[in-house]
Amino acid sequence: MTEKNDTPKIGEKRQDTSQPVILPGIHRYQFFTNLKDRGWTMNLDRVALFGIVAAMLSDVIKPLLRGNPATIYCYECRACYATQDRCPVGISLQAELVVAGRVSDYDRFIRNGGLKCIRCGNCQSYCVQYLPLPKMFAVMQQETREAMKNGVIPKETLKRALAQGLVGKEYIDDLVKAIA
Amino acid sequence: MEYLGYINLGIFLALMLATLFGYIRTPVQTVLVISTILCLVVGATFKYAAYGLDAVLLMPNEFLGGIILHPITALLTGLFLAGGLKASGGFEALKVLLKFLRRSPIGLVGTLVILINLPVISSLPCGRILAAALLPLLFTFGFEGGLGILTKSQLIVLIGAFTRNAMGSCGPSPIGGVGQIAEGFLGSFFATASDGILRAPQAFSLMLGTAVVALFLKLVSQKIYPNDVSLREAPVSGTTQGVVEPEIKAPFQGYLALVIFVVSLLIAIFQPLGKMPVQSVLVAGALVMTLACRIRLNDLLEGIILLPVTAMAAGFLAAGALAATDGFKALGQILNSLVGAPFLGVAGMLAIFVQFQTILPLSCARILTAALVPVLYLFGPAQYDFLNWSQLAIVMAAYIINATTSCGPSPLGGGGMMGEGTMRAETSFIKGAYTFASMAIMAPMAAIFMKFLNLAIFQPADPRFMQDIKMIALFAVAIAGVNILLLALGSRLFHRDSPNNYYIQLAGFFIAGALSGAILAFAVFEVDSTKILQGAVGGLIAAALIGFMVPKTLSKRMTSTLSGSDI
Repeated sequence: MTEKNDTPKIGEKRQDTSQPVILPGIHRYQFFTNLKDRGWTMNLDRVALFGIVAAMLSDVIKPLLRGNPATIYCYECRACYATQDRCPVGISLQAELVVAGRVSDYDRFIRNGGLKCIRCGNCQSYCVQYLPLPKMFAVMQQETREAMKNGVIPKETLKRALAQGLVGKEYIDDLVKAIA
Repeated sequence: MEYLGYINLGIFLALMLATLFGYIRTPVQTVLVISTILCLVVGATFKYAAYGLDAVLLMPNEFLGGIILHPITALLTGLFLAGGLKASGGFEALKVLLKFLRRSPIGLVGTLVILINLPVISSLPCGRILAAALLPLLFTFGFEGGLGILTKSQLIVLIGAFTRNAMGSCGPSPIGGVGQIAEGFLGSFFATASDGILRAPQAFSLMLGTAVVALFLKLVSQKIYPNDVSLREAPVSGTTQGVVEPEIKAPFQGYLALVIFVVSLLIAIFQPLGKMPVQSVLVAGALVMTLACRIRLNDLLEGIILLPVTAMAAGFLAAGALAATDGFKALGQILNSLVGAPFLGVAGMLAIFVQFQTILPLSCARILTAALVPVLYLFGPAQYDFLNWSQLAIVMAAYIINATTSCGPSPLGGGGMMGEGTMRAETSFIKGAYTFASMAIMAPMAAIFMKFLNLAIFQPADPRFMQDIKMIALFAVAIAGVNILLLALGSRLFHRDSPNNYYIQLAGFFIAGALSGAILAFAVFEVDSTKILQGAVGGLIAAALIGFMVPKTLSKRMTSTLSGSDI
């Protein structure tokens, strides 16, 4: 490697030592440019970017295909938590149920009382976008019921839900069968 | 299973710090994806051992739940609209309007103050939307941009202050802003919290913080990094007195696009047509603009900036993986254990906690906010009971403004880098100013505002109303006064190229950090000398973590180029 001149020529690219310092003693590297040791990571970056895009797409496409598209619009602002005592079954973290519905996270849905919900719609009035929360929860409840029947949900999750009183009466039979 | 969270939290922090310190030289997105995969692999191993294969198969669903779609789609649609505005000549129209304003009684300074505060006035769900639209316009005020009405130093201050204001405006946004996450949690006690309990404290402290950033850039940054901005001064013969300002003409489509842009924002914010997602309004606005101003679809697409979108998504994936594998539960337990540390206690721990996102600035505030707000919520009556509901609201106000402004100083693709690029500065040129303002002004001011105004219940005629307003004014003057004094004193001590500059700046950080922690402790626990002392110690620790992360020098290359023969 040749000796570097302190003053680069016009058009000369930056080298390691001339990168700006972003932390004491630490240089920032020009991520997508000229570093020699970046060769092997190029494909890694591409794979990572592909993974990110795939994850975002699956986050959008899954609820569309499963008939729960309104979950995509949730701001996750948690305005629905203001429902408080006006939820007749005492669900306190409604936004968690929406997110669980979007990605089919059964454990999260059950843990936050999704199977207790009676779809009264009291929480809907607190949503800043007036999203159809009861409908979203109903779709996810149905999916969870199917998942229980197919044995997809770990028994530990179901046993814990039963012990903590997180299951509504319309799902008790299915849940007991799934545990058995 | 109890070790799983600690292991994964360790993996995440190690990878992020290694990236911040340059040991891992890949884009932050790649590192976050690697962190996600590692956490999932470790998590899957533990879950397989504990619960069997079914639990492992459900893990992808769990971590995908970490992705918050709203900011991603809102940002994309906002950038769409900004792209249309640019293509149709909307900026030219804006320049004409600004020229008109400058000649009005408010003059140039008044016009610039309005311009700088436009992001917090419009409060969009991501600061990058307006920054992408207006930063090129601000650049035109300088010599290189064409108008030549501001000097290099003034332009640095203008761009830096505007970007600070923008990269924080997502906090008080009522249309899916970051602050709404905390408002939602507070809504589980304060019935009307989600109607905007945190909006005023954030907006107020952001405006004050913007002013302090402007001062810091003028009095400190330009002295510590004198050669790291490659903007050019106007030639001596071309100073503002001698130059005839070029005539600006805007096409009719430009005015039309500007009107559509403003109307779209107003509809999105005030929702006169009923509740609807901000994305729908912005896309409708972009379509109307496309048809009315005859813009090509390509022009709209050109407005999109992909980095924040992918960085946000990758961050959410990493946070989702951590949440799915108990990483944040482990963080909560670590913070909980800090309470028992001598000299820290609850007040000291909270003083560090509220500064956490400035200590570890990531490219989008939501990455950590979505995970840490639930932890903070648990410090309240919901679990640990360190705080009552009112105290929790005060800490939440301080935490949220600090969090939402954390994308500004992030060198990992943070929003502040847009400002640095526009002012032709090296990365991290603005880091000191941004972190100082977040730590020293914004967090304590938001807490004070919340304590004395938002939580007080009174009738307009109640004498306590005026008393509380006076208290806020008093604290604002005191906090701002001390910090301005520190800046002014520091600016007298700084000397060009002196090695002491950095240490003087550090000393300023320590004093301001301790003061900030003490004020936060006072806001939460009132006059309790032990708690105030503990808060000051916590603030000092936070300030040390923040201050030492502000670089001493930036680029040798910039210095040599600007002073060399090539220029």
